[in-house]
Amino acid sequence: MIEVEQSRPLNPVMNFDEVSMERSKSFVKALQELKNLRPQLYSAAEYCEKSYLHSEQKQMVLDNLKDYAVRALVNAVDHLGTVAYKLTDLLEQQTSEVSTIELNISCVNQQLLTCQTYMSREGLRQQQLLAFIPRHHKHYILPNSVNKRVHFSPHIQTDAVKNSIQARARLRPSGIPASKTLSWHLASETKSTLKGIPHASTSTEDARTSGMTSEVFHLVDVEETSRTKSSATHLQLPSGGPASGAIVQTSGAPDAMESSKALTTYRSFENQNRRAIAHVPVRSKSVLSAFFVKQKTSKMKAGSVA
Amino acid sequence: MVRAGGITNAVNVGIAVQADWENREFISHISLNVRRLFDFLVQFEATTKSKLASLNEKLDTLERRLELLDVQVDTASSNPSLFAT
Repeated sequence: MIEVEQSRPLNPVMNFDEVSMERSKSFVKALQELKNLRPQLYSAAEYCEKSYLHSEQKQMVLDNLKDYAVRALVNAVDHLGTVAYKLTDLLEQQTSEVSTIELNISCVNQQLLTCQTYMSREGLRQQQLLAFIPRHHKHYILPNSVNKRVHFSPHIQTDAVKNSIQARARLRPSGIPASKTLSWHLASETKSTLKGIPHASTSTEDARTSGMTSEVFHLVDVEETSRTKSSATHLQLPSGGPASGAIVQTSGAPDAMESSKALTTYRSFENQNRRAIAHVPVRSKSVLSAFFVKQKTSKMKAGSVA
Repeated sequence: MVRAGGITNAVNVGIAVQADWENREFISHISLNVRRLFDFLVQFEATTKSKLASLNEKLDTLERRLELLDVQVDTASSNPSLFAT
């Protein structure tokens, strides 16, 4: 077996498939030879038994049998070793092939993931160009003057105005003057666009009995209307009607004083706003006009792409 | 004559016993080596089984990954508009 292997010439020109084929062929050959040992050993054992029984020189047969047993054992061990070595070599080769295949599959998987990532980014980029995301939505940042533009009606939601007033109150303590904040600029810009409206607002002011001048005071108006409604309901009650009405009226007097104070504060604030607004339009054109122009151009682009 | 025959018999018995002991020793050596060969074969079978099992597991994993890649590539190739810029 060893002589056969040594006589095989080494051919370095063989490629990988041929080498693997040769290895598998040699393994099959070694396995076949090991399998052929079994009938040979069986036949040798029968011959030795018959010759020991029928021969007269039993000692010689016994000695021959001992030698044959030792050689057969050595031969069997040699064959088994060859088969084991070839099988181990074949398994290692196939394990390395599987590892190579695993690496190739990982490469293909990585390439596919790269393509998917690129496609998703490209799609996202295209969508970002088309999408118009408004920043600094006026409804949430700006004071009541913006609500005039969006929902111009006397019966405005009180919560939004309260939030705007509270936001204004929060901004004040920061130390930044009202004339320099973005929200103030946007409010002034909307105020400038609504120049025709103040005449209508003044007419509504005259119509109201409480003395409110603009939509800024609608909070106070709502409070007063709610008080008047409650007083009316009290007066309408049959039990202890006039007494309850008197009580309500007397309790309403200090509230009226407070409301007048609030009116004065609001009036002063509005006057400051009006005075400040007079100086703003020049600055708003330089900053805000550019901002709105950019928005319009982006809208135009979106229209064209679609 | 009888004594000489008895001595011869004793010598023969002694020789036979010695030969028997040698044969037994030879048989024990042979049986010991056969048992070692058997142990080697059992160990070799266990090692080869584990190697084949790991190889089989690797191949199963690779087969599943290949199926997944095949499906992904088919999905991508079925919609060529995705690759248009």
